[in-house]
Order: sequence, then structure tokens, then C-alpha cells
Amino acid sequence: MSVAQWFKGISLRRPPAPAASPSEAPAPERVYLPLRQHRGDVCEPQVQPGDQVALGQIIGSSESIEAALVHATVSGKVEQIIDISDAEGHPTPTVVIQNDGKDAWAAPDADALIIDNADQVLQTKPSHLLKAIRKAGLVRAAAHGLPMQAELSPPMAPRSYLFMTGIPVVRTIDTLIVKAVDADQPIIPNQAGLAGFGAELEIGIAAVARICGAQKVIIAAAKGADLGQLPQIAAAREWSISQVNGCHYPFGLDSMIINALTGREVPTPYGEPRDVGVLIEPLATILDVGRVLRTGRPVIDRLFTVAGDVAKPQTFRARLGTPMAEMIKAAGGASGQPGKVIIGGPMMGMAHFDLNTPVTKESDGLFVISLAKVQTFSGEPCIHCGRCVQVCPVNLIPAELGKMCQYGHYEEAADKDLMHCIECGCCAYVCPAKRPMVHLLRLGKTEVLARRAE
Amino acid sequence: MSKQLLTVSTSPHMLGGMSVRSMHVEYIIALIPALATGVYYFGWPALLTVLLATGSAVVCELALTKLAKQPTKLDDLHAVVMGLLLGLILPPVVAGLEDACPWWIPVVGGALAVGLGKVLFGGIGAYPMNPVLIAWAALALSWPEHTMAFLDPMPWGTEDPEWVVSTAPLVEFKNDIGNMLSYEMANLWSGMYPSAVGAGGSWALLLGGVYLIIRRIVPWQIPLGVLAGLIGMALLATYTDSRIVEMELETFNDHWNVALFHMATGGLMITAFFLAPEPVSSPMTPWGMLLFGVGIGVMTVLVRHWGAPIDGAFYGVLIMNAATPLFDRIRPRVLGKVGSSA
Repeated sequence: MSVAQWFKGISLRRPPAPAASPSEAPAPERVYLPLRQHRGDVCEPQVQPGDQVALGQIIGSSESIEAALVHATVSGKVEQIIDISDAEGHPTPTVVIQNDGKDAWAAPDADALIIDNADQVLQTKPSHLLKAIRKAGLVRAAAHGLPMQAELSPPMAPRSYLFMTGIPVVRTIDTLIVKAVDADQPIIPNQAGLAGFGAELEIGIAAVARICGAQKVIIAAAKGADLGQLPQIAAAREWSISQVNGCHYPFGLDSMIINALTGREVPTPYGEPRDVGVLIEPLATILDVGRVLRTGRPVIDRLFTVAGDVAKPQTFRARLGTPMAEMIKAAGGASGQPGKVIIGGPMMGMAHFDLNTPVTKESDGLFVISLAKVQTFSGEPCIHCGRCVQVCPVNLIPAELGKMCQYGHYEEAADKDLMHCIECGCCAYVCPAKRPMVHLLRLGKTEVLARRAE
Repeated sequence: MSKQLLTVSTSPHMLGGMSVRSMHVEYIIALIPALATGVYYFGWPALLTVLLATGSAVVCELALTKLAKQPTKLDDLHAVVMGLLLGLILPPVVAGLEDACPWWIPVVGGALAVGLGKVLFGGIGAYPMNPVLIAWAALALSWPEHTMAFLDPMPWGTEDPEWVVSTAPLVEFKNDIGNMLSYEMANLWSGMYPSAVGAGGSWALLLGGVYLIIRRIVPWQIPLGVLAGLIGMALLATYTDSRIVEMELETFNDHWNVALFHMATGGLMITAFFLAPEPVSSPMTPWGMLLFGVGIGVMTVLVRHWGAPIDGAFYGVLIMNAATPLFDRIRPRVLGKVGSSA
């Protein structure tokens, strides 16, 4: 625990932790596969309603590097292509497939690789690995995740907005951080993935490190987590393991982990870990990379935690495209009338109005709050107590920014570093006046960006 | 598929469960030891003072917010805490005793705190200075003889307590600095000396203050700043104030005792832990809070040694409150703000 963590951030009152080892969720009768499950471009549908599709068949593709291919995650008949809201809440063209229950696999792709162990990864050309990853439609398993090929390959051109500001931009990646902690407890796909550790993870880490060219691999593990065989394997490959106090929110966030482990600061608001020479990947993604390379098949499921007010909170291997209602059912059903259904964790997740929203490549969990426990914000005035300042991990003065945004002084707020807010929600969590801090700051950011764009 | 309606809002979806009301409940809990000490030494008059001040504050809050057409929020307990704090820094009220503090002092004080200090500025969150001290300053400037009419302590259980108005240690200190040697340090720290209702029991206030800091209601920087500023300035004063230099204190311990005397007397402890960290009027940034506290501590000693008023702690808070916007400009560096990006 670093000195900053003594003073910053919050220790959450946490609901009971879900079971550690992931279990298989039943395949649904119908899957809903949005043609964009990542940050970037929408894919073109490759199937028509009425077509018969096999498991792993490409149903959406695009030439753009910023698009991840979409594969069928059940075998069966395409029913229709409709617009439904995806994990981000945007209406997206979605392929609906009726499951025939046979799980018949499509023929493997020509670019697919079958790799047995990590040594073999080191003899494979990075471009071949990258091509296999692209064909498998992998996406960084986090909200706003980029397709893996875009995440792993260096940007084509220098990033002008960073050059303008005089920030030294590092364009080669020297450190790969494997994130085996989860910021937003109790949504813990990464920690659960660690429990089922195997050869896939080793292949995955080796492949990602080889493609991005990182010399140093750091595995950020939660304090007290069961690491199993990991220390021996990591020692043999000269990977280091660092303990991170992921339970102390928000020190499991990417920029916080980078800061704690390397001492580098990701420039906000436009910077990315790549700008300081770091690539940080969730363990769930690395695991998927390993599985794709080992089996030669695309991803059809992902680690998905269902927590909160459900009968049996746990982590699943859930088919992509499973509607949220099915996931709640798989976790034993909601206890009480659900009042809020959140994709992501309770602190940074997004509340959804539609239980039909499917599991996608960028959603990592579902948090259910029963109607009786839904907490509301209030319009009470700020009482200037400064608790938000005490907890803010990036040293802002949220109270002041909130007041400025509330009364429309957006540019003034931008001068006071509004744009550096990482929207972790600590300020709103501790606020005794229950002010909707994150809402106000987001409003301010949107207004500032809108005015600058004019 | 589903007809049921779900709530949608921005994150976070889980709140810490803290409210303005619960914050003030913690304040009240933390003030209980000080109140108990006051009642132990000053009996029923102490309790009467606190009740009068609290009642007046609550009634005025109700009446004035109705008059000003502001929302009445008695259930956030802010008026109760204000009345309680005001009662604790006033002398005990004794009916029928000449020279003693009359009953209307806490009543007027409660009205001033709510009216002049709070409602006039727009209620909680809006006022620039600590309303309790605004009321106290108004009383102390208008009726100095009443606000300094402290009683000799009569520990609870004394047969037929006969209340006698007496002079506070700080008044003696002002008259002649040498008088401070006549006080027993243990008595000063336990509150067994003529003082305001709740400002004397230093141990009790320390207990309540530490509770508030542990519960994270009060940031540790402000009390620490006040005590550090006070001790530092008190030591400086013992080596420079010609009257103390003439006393020829020999060991460092003697100088240290002067600092302890300053800590235990007047309103210093209640200032450090309750009045200075009052949320609305104190700064928010870590270094700002620390310097705010140091300023109060230094002011206290300056006024006690060289100023005209008897005690400087309360005035120190008011003056530093005025500078709060300036202290709030001392910001920590923003993480991730590198280069000149904006």
C-alpha cells in the first residue's frame, strides 16, 4: 500500500464476494449479437435472416482495423437483424440467432494458429499472431475496449494533440501489465480467471508480450489472492508479480495501477497507457488470447460476474449475446424486485433500462440492486466539508467543480482541471449531501467538449 | 420482453450512506463528554445554558426559514449542533445571581447564530464564517461583562452549591502573566477552573475530537494545525515576551508548561476540534487546512500575549474563515496533468 492510499480512495462496504472459480452458464435459446461490441466501427452483417449458421462462423466483418469481427456464439438459424441497445446503451444493429442446441463448430479459419505451449509462441512471427487474434474478433475486456489488433499494434501516426502540449510521447511499449485485479468490486472476472489458471494464460501473456514488444511483464495480483502455479511459471519466464491493493477503490483502475507499479502518470484527459510506454491488459482478455491461439477457434464466451442482489452471485463463462435476464436467471434469480441493473460494477458501471441487453465482449459483469436498496441523489447544497477532496485519487477539488458545473461555469471548471477527472465516483460515494457529483462533472465535460468543437 | 421499469442514473450506484444528518449526529456524540464535564463542574446552570441556546437556535431556524421562504431542514440537526456549540462556549446561566450571565444571553446568541450567521447567507453551505462564532463575537462585543461572567466550579454532589462569579485564568493571565503559575495543570486540563460550560474540559474535548477524526468527520489537518501553531507560537512567545523573560524560566519544561497552559485554557480545545473544522467555513485542500489551523493557533497566542481581547482563539477562527477562499487556492498537483495539457 503506497502512502497515497492511506489518504486517498475509499474502502467500500462490500456485498458478499461471489464464488471464485468460474462456472459454465447455460447457452440461451436465443442470442443477440450486436455488430459492434467494442470502441470503434460497426461491422457489416454477413448473414441474412433465415440463414443457418455454425458455431464460430463470422456473421459480421469490417475492413477497418478499429472493428472486431463478430462470430456466431451458438449454432442455429438467424431470425432477424434488429436494433437493440448494447452495453453502452446505444442502439446497434444486432443479429438474433435461434439456438438449435447442437453447438456444431464451423470449419477453422485459414489464419488460425494452434499453439501448444508458450515456447512455440516465441517462434511464431508477431504478424501471424496478430492476424490470428484479429480473425478471432478479440476485444479488450473492459468498458470502451478497443479491438485487440488496434490495442496491440502501434498507432499509425504520432498523436498530434499530445505533441502540441509538449508531453514527451513514448511510442514503444516496454512494459506489459497483466491486470489480475478488478477495480470495481464485486465484479471480479479477472480474479476469477486467475483461479482457473492454466497453459492458456501462459500462452496468452507470451503472445501479447511478443506482439507489443514489451521487455518487462508485470502481473498485478490482488493482495491475498490464490496464485496457484503462477509464481513458478512467472519465475521461469522472468515475469514479475506485484501485489496491488485492488480492494481499496479506485486503486485497481488502469491508470492507478500504472502509477503504483511504474511511477509513470498516464496523461489525462486524452492520453493512453501507450503514451507512457505501458500496455495494461485485463487477465480475462489475456486468457481469451491464450485460448484462441491454443484452440484455433474464435471466442464465443467470456468471463462474466453476476453480483449484487441475486441468489447465487458468481462468475460465469457466459456465451456472448446472452440477454441479461438469462444471466440473472443463471445466478439463481434476483432477490426481490430488481430496481437497478448495472452493466459493470456498482461504482463505474452503467445502469440499463432493458433486460434484453446482451452480454458483449466489452461488458465484464452485471450488478443487480433490488428496488428497496436503490439509493438516490439529492439536490441539497454542497456543505463544503471537503470529504471529496480527501478521497479524490487524482487530487481534484470535486466540490468546487460540481458547483461550477451546476451553475454553468464550464470553462472556469475546465481551468480548474475538470477534464482530468477520471469519473471514479469516490466523491459521490462519500458526499454527505448526496450530491450527484459524477453526473455534474460529466455534464461539465460534455459541455466543454461541445463548446471546443464549435 | 420485460415490462418492468428499471431505474437509470449515472454512476456510482452505491453510496457511502453518510448524510448531513448522520454527520451532525456524530458531532453531537462527540460533544457529550464535554457537556458531561460542564454539567459535572457547573451543575444545572450548565445544562440550562445549553438548553436555552439549543432551543433558541431551533425555534429561530424554524421561524426564520419560514420567513425567508427557505426550505426548513430541522431534521439535518444543524441548528441543534449550532445551539449546542454556542451553549458550550458561554458561561453558565444562574438565575437570581448578580453579575452572573443572564438567561437571555444564550437565547439572543442562538437567534444571532441562526439569523445573522446562517439564514441571512442562504442556509447551510452558503455562509462564509462560523455562525456560532459570529453569534459569540456579537455577544462578546455587546455584553463583555456577561460573556466573561464565569463561575467557580462546584463538582457534582457538592452540598448546596453556592455559585460565585470568578475570574477566568486568561483574565488573570492578562492582568499579570505570573498568575499562570498559580494554577494546577491537572485542574486546568480536567476543567476544574472558572470557564465556559464546555470549553474547560480539555480531556473531554480531546476525546470527542479524536472520535471525530477517527470517524473521518473532521479532517486531521485542521486540529493538528491549530495545536502545532499554538505550541510553536507559545514557545516562541515564552522566549521573546519580555514579561516572561523576566520570570527567568530555567528548564525547557517550564517553557513547555506555558504552551500547555495555553492549550488547556480559554476556548482553544473546543476551537481546535469543533469550531475551526466546522465544514462550511473551513478550507478543503490538505495544505490549506493545515495552514488555516496554524493561523488560528498563532493568532490565539498573539492575542493572549499582546492583544486587547482576552482570548484570541475564537477571533482567530473568524479571521481565518475570511481567508478560507485563499487557503482553498493551495491545491495539490493533479495526477495525470503533465506538460501544459488542459
